Amino acid sequence: MIGKSHWFKRRKYSGWGVVPATWQGWVYTVVMISPLVFLSFVQVNEAVPAILIIWVIVFAIDMADIMIRLPQDERERQHEATAERNALWVILAVLATGIAFETAQTAVKGKDILVDPVIIIAILAGLIAKAATNWYLDRHN
Amino acid sequence: MQTNISELRKKIGITQEELAEKVGVTRQTIISLEAARYNPSLLLARNITVALKQKYIENVFDIK
Repeated sequence: MIGKSHWFKRRKYSGWGVVPATWQGWVYTVVMISPLVFLSFVQVNEAVPAILIIWVIVFAIDMADIMIRLPQDERERQHEATAERNALWVILAVLATGIAFETAQTAVKGKDILVDPVIIIAILAGLIAKAATNWYLDRHN
Repeated sequence: MQTNISELRKKIGITQEELAEKVGVTRQTIISLEAARYNPSLLLARNITVALKQKYIENVFDIK
């Protein structure tokens, strides 16, 4: 692919994803992002949105490749797994509390219970991802 | 778990960075190992033993 994983490091304290770790990483980031910024402001012709979409797809695939290939030793992997698990637990706790609170509130007011289906789909998708991961790991590790 | 990594590393005259490079981990992991804050996998323990020119893992890691 275009970018090299050793140009980046895992974002540890400010969210998810990667941040440039070398000057090549910064050059890559600027080169990949500047056409998006330029093309989204300048309407040159009708082909621009298509180019923009293709560029975004290429950028997304390349970033995914960089993140997958990011060099990590066993201690870093262990730390990442624990940090991601804790983050997920907090997200689930906040979502469950929020849904319970909103449901109780609407029930008390006698209104129809409305929970955003995207939240339910996200939780179900996470459940499937967890089950699939455990299924794979039980057979291969 | 106690380790003799620091002593053995100094004995053969290599830095933490060089040892990290040899065994394919970060310098931070070597620092954690020397401070006995991290328990390595069997593979990493074996690789460190080899990198420090030792015959037995027990010479490097003292498991109690």
